[in-house]
Amino acid sequence: MAKHDPEFEHEHIGIPGYLGVFGLLVIGTIGTYYIATIDLDRVFPGANTLVALLIAFTKMSFVMLFFMHVRWSSRLIWLAVVAAFFWLAIMFSYTMQDYLTRATGVFTQ
Amino acid sequence: MAEHGHSDKFVYHEPGLQHQFSDMMQQEQSVSIGMWAFLAQEIMFFGGLFTAYLVFRSKYPMAFAAGSNRLDAFLGGTNTLVLIVSSLTMALTVYFAQKGNRHLQIIFILLTMLFGAAFLGIKAVEYHNKYVEGIVPVAGWNARAKAPAGAEREEAKPCWQAENLEGDNYVNPKGEFIWADCSLAKLAQDENFLTTAEKAGYFSNGQLDGDKFRDKVRIFFFLYFVMTGLHALHMIVGLVLMTWLLWTAFRGYYNADYYMPVEMSGLYWHFVDIVWIFLFPLLYLLGRHFVHAH
Repeated sequence: MAKHDPEFEHEHIGIPGYLGVFGLLVIGTIGTYYIATIDLDRVFPGANTLVALLIAFTKMSFVMLFFMHVRWSSRLIWLAVVAAFFWLAIMFSYTMQDYLTRATGVFTQ
Repeated sequence: MAEHGHSDKFVYHEPGLQHQFSDMMQQEQSVSIGMWAFLAQEIMFFGGLFTAYLVFRSKYPMAFAAGSNRLDAFLGGTNTLVLIVSSLTMALTVYFAQKGNRHLQIIFILLTMLFGAAFLGIKAVEYHNKYVEGIVPVAGWNARAKAPAGAEREEAKPCWQAENLEGDNYVNPKGEFIWADCSLAKLAQDENFLTTAEKAGYFSNGQLDGDKFRDKVRIFFFLYFVMTGLHALHMIVGLVLMTWLLWTAFRGYYNADYYMPVEMSGLYWHFVDIVWIFLFPLLYLLGRHFVHAH
């Protein structure tokens, strides 16, 4: 039966695995909350933003790979996921290459 | 195959196989790619708002930092944890659906709904606080807000010494967005890290202008309400989806061979969680170090 194709018969990570991912997400949330109150901009400007986004991306990756089972999904699903973020990157980069290169950032003066 | 019409789709096939698919695997793949195409569209849908946030925050970082510090990061963080717990219970719902365990499946759907409702409850408390404090970015909606006690005294001060006080006096009959404190703009001016847009956008005749700063903070609160509002709308849709899932699970529609509706609802729920994973640091946390580390 096609149903019992090994690619579609998977255990995923089981309850201990789900609890482990959950633990990481909780640690990430509490960590990002406290790190936000520390002045990392002394290290280099924008370090606070970078750290907050890195934590958010890590959390997102764990949710997508394990809770949403992308880790075990077909290549077609991987393509859909990557394409979604690729379009998002296009929207961000083309918008910002306009705004960041304007002379004053405002229309007056 | 010829003996039954299309309406008798459960007669010969495996239970749960829709008649337009040739087997369960093809059905699972089709359903998954459909759901992921929808989620890719949702990423673009929220992506427009994230782009707006990116543009305005890069222009007016200190106004956005001022707005972030006014939000209740503890309630926001609590809501993040509530959503993460609901994502765990949703993942376990799918797990028990795959195992064909109807009893635990129903329990975890109920838990997911409980945490989803808790999220919306905390969100409602936050919205109510903003309404009471008069920082809803819509002209006329803050008329009932209690304006700061001693607002007259505060008005006499330069805006970087003014505080956003709370009190009983009623001085906002037009219901405008109430904001007095521009101390973060002063900080950036003194330490010389104003952006080009800020140098033009916060000042009148070389002096820090509280009204101009307020209007930039107002942009932050506009984005805050639209982004969290759209997210909350997705939570409400998710709860409707969970109600349907609860009913069908209760009726015993799902088993170890057919659970795709549970898995697809799970994808939607986790997606909404991921949006919040980004909204929380972007709206509540960035810029907190300007206040809390000084």
